[in-house]
Amino acid sequence: MNFFPTSSRSALRRLFTIGFVVVVFVVYAYGFKVTDVSLKETQDPTRQSSVQRAMRELLSPDIFDQDTTTEDAFANVQKECTGTATEQPAHDESQPYVQLSPDCGARNDIITVEGFNFPINSTGRVFLIRPSGERQPFDLVNDTGNTIFDIDGHGHFQTQIALPTLRGDAGSVHEIQVEAAVPVGLPYFSGTTQTVIEKMVETIFLALIATTLALPVAAFLSFLGAHNLMRDIRIPLGNVFIMIVLLPVGWAIGQTLLGAVGKLGLDLGSGLLAGIGGSVAAIVIFGSVTRGMSRAELKPQGIEGRVREIIISVLLLVLIVFLLGVIGGVGLWLSERLTDGTAGAIGYFLGTVGELIQLIIYPLAGVIGAFYLSSMGTNLTTNVLKSVRGVQSHIAGGVMGAVVGGLVMAGVGVIGSMAALFTVIPPIVAGILGGAILSRLYEWRFEPVRPLHRSRGSFIMLFVGAVATFLITANVLDVLHIVVVGRLPSPDFVITSGIIGVILGAVGGALVGLHASFPMGDVLYNITRTILNALRSIEPLIMGIVFVIWVSIGPFAGVLALTLHSIASLGKLYSEQIESIDLGPIEAIQSTGATRLQTIIYAVVPQIIPPYISFTMYRWDINVRMSTIIGFVGGGGIGFLLQQQINLLRYDQAGVAVLAIAIVVSVLDYLSASIRERFV
Amino acid sequence: MLKIENLTKIYDNGVRALDNISVDFADGEFVALIGLSGSGKSTLLRCINRLIKPTTGRVVWDGVDISAATDEEMRLIRRRIGMIFQQFNLVKRSSVMTNVLAGRLGYTSSAWSFINHFSSEDKTAALNALERVGIRDKAYTRASELSGGQQQRVGIARALMQDPELMLADEPVASLDPATSHSVMKYLELLNKEDGITVLCSLHFLSLARAYATRVIALKDGRIEFDGLPKDIDEKRFKDIYGEDAVQVEIH
Repeated sequence: MNFFPTSSRSALRRLFTIGFVVVVFVVYAYGFKVTDVSLKETQDPTRQSSVQRAMRELLSPDIFDQDTTTEDAFANVQKECTGTATEQPAHDESQPYVQLSPDCGARNDIITVEGFNFPINSTGRVFLIRPSGERQPFDLVNDTGNTIFDIDGHGHFQTQIALPTLRGDAGSVHEIQVEAAVPVGLPYFSGTTQTVIEKMVETIFLALIATTLALPVAAFLSFLGAHNLMRDIRIPLGNVFIMIVLLPVGWAIGQTLLGAVGKLGLDLGSGLLAGIGGSVAAIVIFGSVTRGMSRAELKPQGIEGRVREIIISVLLLVLIVFLLGVIGGVGLWLSERLTDGTAGAIGYFLGTVGELIQLIIYPLAGVIGAFYLSSMGTNLTTNVLKSVRGVQSHIAGGVMGAVVGGLVMAGVGVIGSMAALFTVIPPIVAGILGGAILSRLYEWRFEPVRPLHRSRGSFIMLFVGAVATFLITANVLDVLHIVVVGRLPSPDFVITSGIIGVILGAVGGALVGLHASFPMGDVLYNITRTILNALRSIEPLIMGIVFVIWVSIGPFAGVLALTLHSIASLGKLYSEQIESIDLGPIEAIQSTGATRLQTIIYAVVPQIIPPYISFTMYRWDINVRMSTIIGFVGGGGIGFLLQQQINLLRYDQAGVAVLAIAIVVSVLDYLSASIRERFV
Repeated sequence: MLKIENLTKIYDNGVRALDNISVDFADGEFVALIGLSGSGKSTLLRCINRLIKPTTGRVVWDGVDISAATDEEMRLIRRRIGMIFQQFNLVKRSSVMTNVLAGRLGYTSSAWSFINHFSSEDKTAALNALERVGIRDKAYTRASELSGGQQQRVGIARALMQDPELMLADEPVASLDPATSHSVMKYLELLNKEDGITVLCSLHFLSLARAYATRVIALKDGRIEFDGLPKDIDEKRFKDIYGEDAVQVEIH
């Protein structure tokens, strides 16, 4: 036999295989040690009997109760047989009575218990009365694991118990009780079952609300997280600059002006009639102003056409915000008047909606203002920016880059100063900018013809630039110290970040000029995906803990935790659906001259509705399962109950909860599967 | 007048789909683009309405440089260029009517699209367009329930809604059987003759090009191999375009 393979290559391969097996072996051996795999524990008899008892109780859930009448009789037992006779209570031959033989003994001695004159065909149990008065049921020796025995048609029984450790000195007397229970009437659901059903309903609603709240947010984010929609969105850098500069301006204007409109709606709405009157008037005004305007076709855009479009869209936004305010106001009005029964629940809901609108109307107005002004401003300035040529474009790029870079980095600095760990964000953003700048410098200097793909030199420069800028920025901002000490950065942090941004922005902007195409889509895509992935990696239980601190123990904390987690995972699932759609219709709709928004509405949305419904059902299903345990951290629902039962060692009650979870989850599983089948 | 000047397209994977193409199209022509798969026909058509952005070169239409237009200018240009596709590219889950109305999106404000609103004139026009391609009775069926030929006619109706001056057809009959192919080509011919719409149509079958086109342009490896009248393509030219081993297949 040839032990040595002729080619050294196959010897190497064999050696590699052996090495691989050894490594796997070591990994698993270490894994066993780390996870504390112990066969000894599993064989320990006391643990085995405890687990048996717990499992038995779990599987004998306290679902039903039946009313009983009880009759009992007492007997005494003496600790250790000291020779003196144990004094037994006197008994009437017509009443139930008990005889013990023997009536004394040490731990683990078997005692036969015999009873007479008990109610016929009833069930009995034997208890030891502790000095504290607590009753401890005996396990039956001749009928392993049971505490209950049958009493026969003559009112007689005989069973055996083993003595536990009795307290007190030898010769002390302890009382034993035999209790016979006679069922009365029909069995009914126990109190435990009723509580469990109540909590299960809460759990299902918790999951439903969380899924519903997550749905619109996730659907919106899914568009930003879909690479096929985003990757082609490239915007000239000058437009990006204008866009970013206008965001805070629009925010301020929106908050003041649009916010005031929303507040007006709220105030009018809380007077009901005024609100309804106001909305009708607003709709009529809007309708009459825009009539004719919107029907006329979009002409090649002259100044007049643009002004008209702007007026219509501003009016539409004002109308939307106003109506939203009115809805909130009317909700508040109704909630004060609907207070009883089902109407009360509806009133409570409307009131909460009203409060929510009250709460978000200003920020919402700000966001709308920011995005509107930003997109409008970009549209209007496109042609001006386009006409800037040559050196001017680089000078303008430098100036605007400085402003925008400062704004962006200051904004990132604000985020960074929220928590010690967040202070790494400004250096990361600066690093990305620095890398892009250095690689661009390299390409400009050494690559007269831009190659199709990034060359190796440019890639190295990208890496070097990113690392260097990151390190320098982190050093200037003192990030390492802040993270190590764990304190919040000083107010200077934002200013310093801003200054770094000004420098990087100026250099970058001047280098590439206004016409460089900026991969807006890729940037948005990466930011969205990063946030979604980070959120998704945090278990809802952990989020639950935070929300319990915020909104206190109860189902609302659970709703928030599950909502946040659902946003992240639905967002990802949804975007993957968008990424797998047929691109043909998109191409076709685009070629008709549709805007990006129209393309999404007409080519993307119809294709994704069925999978969205199916994934939402699936998520609800998952949320029901998760909400059964979110209660363990105080998030409400059945988990809260289950945890209490387990802590009180009431496994028979916990069994009911576990059973309820199993039933609801499997029913929902089946339901969601069949609904999904119908839609896909 | 559509002028294509020194157009080159290199894809990200390095494929040079168009190699320095220059060609003019007069208004009212019916031009057939022929050539092997991968010769650049689809790329050329998509560069015209900028579904694909050319690497270098210009596309100038009536004096407007399409390749340098901003997004908003592009919207105004695209709505005058209809396009139909080999795979029809209808939104299959939507009704025929919605698909046809989508042709009007270039003329509709985004805000109205949010609530799926079209003017009543547009709706009448959509029914008329369907009437013209002979499937008015299918207006409210789902697009996925139609046969291939019917779907392509919906595609034509959608393009008609744009009031196009130029029609790009990317192998419109390659997924259809011969009889249906002819009926679809006849509709294109009708648009060309009746409405004076310039048609640029890429085709696989030379026989179809001979039957319908007023001019044939053959592409090979991203370059123009032949530009002339359909009848001028003889056996030798055919072998130049399709390679030595090719045999002419007739479609009747």
